[in-house]
Amino acid sequence: MSSIADASPVISVRDLGVRYKRSGSLFRPARYYQVFEGISFELYRGETLGIVGHNGAGKSTLLRALAGIIQPDSGTVINHGVTVSLLALQAGFDGELPGTDNAVLSAMLLGYTRRQARERLPGIAEFAELGEFMHEPVKTYSSGMRARLGFSVAMHLTPDVLLLDEVLAVGDKHFRKKAEREMLKKMHSDQTIVFVSHSEQQVQRLCDRVFDFDRL
Amino acid sequence: MAPRQIQPFEPLPAQDDRLAPQDAFQWARDAMAARQWETAARRWATLRAVYPDQPPVWIQAAVAYKQLGRHDAAAGFLAEARRRFPSHPGGWVQGANVALARGDHGEAARLLAEARCRFPDDPPVWLRSAGLALADGDPDAALVYNRHVREAFPDDPGGPIQYAELAMEAGDWEEALARWALVRERFPDLPAGYRRAADAQDRLGRPREARRLRLAEEYGADWLAETDQDPPSPVAPPQRRNGRNFLDLVLTKARLNLKSEANRNHLRYLWWVLDPLLYMAVFYVVFGMLLHRGGEGFVAYLLTGLVPFQWFAKTVQHASNTIVEGRGLMNQVRVSPLFFPLVAVAQNAGKQSLVFLMLAVFLIFYGLPPTPHWLALAPVVALQLLLMVVVGCALAMLIPFVRDLLNLVPTGLQFLLFCSGVFYTLDTIPERWRDLFLANPMANLLHQYRRILLEHQWPDWGQLGWLALASLFGLALVLLAYRRLEGVFPRVVVE
Repeated sequence: MSSIADASPVISVRDLGVRYKRSGSLFRPARYYQVFEGISFELYRGETLGIVGHNGAGKSTLLRALAGIIQPDSGTVINHGVTVSLLALQAGFDGELPGTDNAVLSAMLLGYTRRQARERLPGIAEFAELGEFMHEPVKTYSSGMRARLGFSVAMHLTPDVLLLDEVLAVGDKHFRKKAEREMLKKMHSDQTIVFVSHSEQQVQRLCDRVFDFDRL
Repeated sequence: MAPRQIQPFEPLPAQDDRLAPQDAFQWARDAMAARQWETAARRWATLRAVYPDQPPVWIQAAVAYKQLGRHDAAAGFLAEARRRFPSHPGGWVQGANVALARGDHGEAARLLAEARCRFPDDPPVWLRSAGLALADGDPDAALVYNRHVREAFPDDPGGPIQYAELAMEAGDWEEALARWALVRERFPDLPAGYRRAADAQDRLGRPREARRLRLAEEYGADWLAETDQDPPSPVAPPQRRNGRNFLDLVLTKARLNLKSEANRNHLRYLWWVLDPLLYMAVFYVVFGMLLHRGGEGFVAYLLTGLVPFQWFAKTVQHASNTIVEGRGLMNQVRVSPLFFPLVAVAQNAGKQSLVFLMLAVFLIFYGLPPTPHWLALAPVVALQLLLMVVVGCALAMLIPFVRDLLNLVPTGLQFLLFCSGVFYTLDTIPERWRDLFLANPMANLLHQYRRILLEHQWPDWGQLGWLALASLFGLALVLLAYRRLEGVFPRVVVE
């Protein structure tokens, strides 16, 4: 496994800033809330970068900017030709539809083709441990079951850079352990990961480097 | 005899109902485990008074004293232990430890040599001998003793652990890693196999590997082995979805939306037929039966206009707010915002197919059977679809920025209903306004539908061509705008 020092950056963040409009209309001037500004760092191939900071520091916003979901107000995110995905749990779930349909749809939204999604379906069903419930509408699921299905769908995704936003708190204790085990396996393959967490201890335990919003 | 909890200041139980020695010793062992050596030494002293015939009260007391640096006292207890319990190797092994701690290597060597003769089947004796050899600066002799442990006592973890520690001691980290791997293989539950290997990785400047080993202590050797393997056939999403996958996504979502919609009702899919049927029935009753308006064939005229117009109105109404409604998903996954209005268009098109089918049935019963001209419905329907894509996407794009516009959509559609000639015929419009009237794309399309369905004529290809051209131009503008706004929508919709 290559060490970080000789790896090349896959994403470069330069002077990034995002602000949100707080209020304002035709008759009132807009007021803005600056989430963060002047953020610069490099993300290297194969590393696990932890991001910590207090609530509202902009951790999730930063991930969305890295994923290309939102455009920053200032600065740039330079992608050196890699695929980036935010691991979104239960993306696009529809309570009226059975688990199978939701799994396929969610997988497609995350970037699979329909064929890939269909092929993965048995694996997803098995990992989620839902059994016959896979064919029941998701609205009949407990929140833990939904979380399990959501995680199982997202788990198979392997973009060049995977962005994780507090995803390890899913399901009951048994499943959480299983989810963590899988996720850590990913972290220790050559997968590049950006990992957001409230728990500084967890970040220390899992990450090669830490980016701390509170020390900006 | 019921075990009793012994409190530190409680008088000890009388001789005849003593605790089993192992239960009583736990009291002192707890202090040892907490590394409270002073307390431990005192507790062993107390226990010694009650159980003088048990080796631990002598040997463990010596261990506690050794930790306190009181080597003489420790040596005294161990000498006594050797005298009292000649068949117990602890007196010798610990004796060697204490001698080593005092720097008296000669005494340590003497004790261990004696122990090796007396207790050749006790692994600690050999391990300690290896430790002494190492302390004497003779790693080769240490290896010899260690090999004896590993070969003679394969089930004792001490041998492999010491084997790895010897490599650590020598600073041969790679060799140590290999030896720790053997420890993990034989004894996967021992923390040392992971922790000390992680230390070796740290020394080699590989913090990532070190972390992996520390995590493996928690997740087990299987996990470690699995991380060594290549991940099973990774599925990498493309940088951007290509057109085909995007279309597939839109159609899949639309299909599932329809399924979901149907699941919500008891009559399920039947509603897609019932709803337009009721709607058409209302117009039939009011205009065809009650008002007797428009004369012969007016109901057919009305429905051939109303059905396509309702399709347009429902689609546009539905699509207009989709981007705002899709804010959750939009902030979760990277998907072109076009996805949202297009799903609405596709979803309504799916339902509309049934309505068109019913209209066809009605026309046949009404005495307007199919003619070859019906083939021309295909381009007309396609053009209407294109028009709805343009209008729906344009509205969905504008509404996140000017939410108030949403309030105008129903009114606007109502206005369009009256401007498109659903209720009146083209000849009721003065000649000089007709071009302007037909410039309204919906009015024009309805006119074409009626030429085909009612008049059994081919549509006006010229007008259709112009309309298609204008729609394609609109489509290009909309696509361009969406491309530019892609990263903006997810923020605007939550603001």
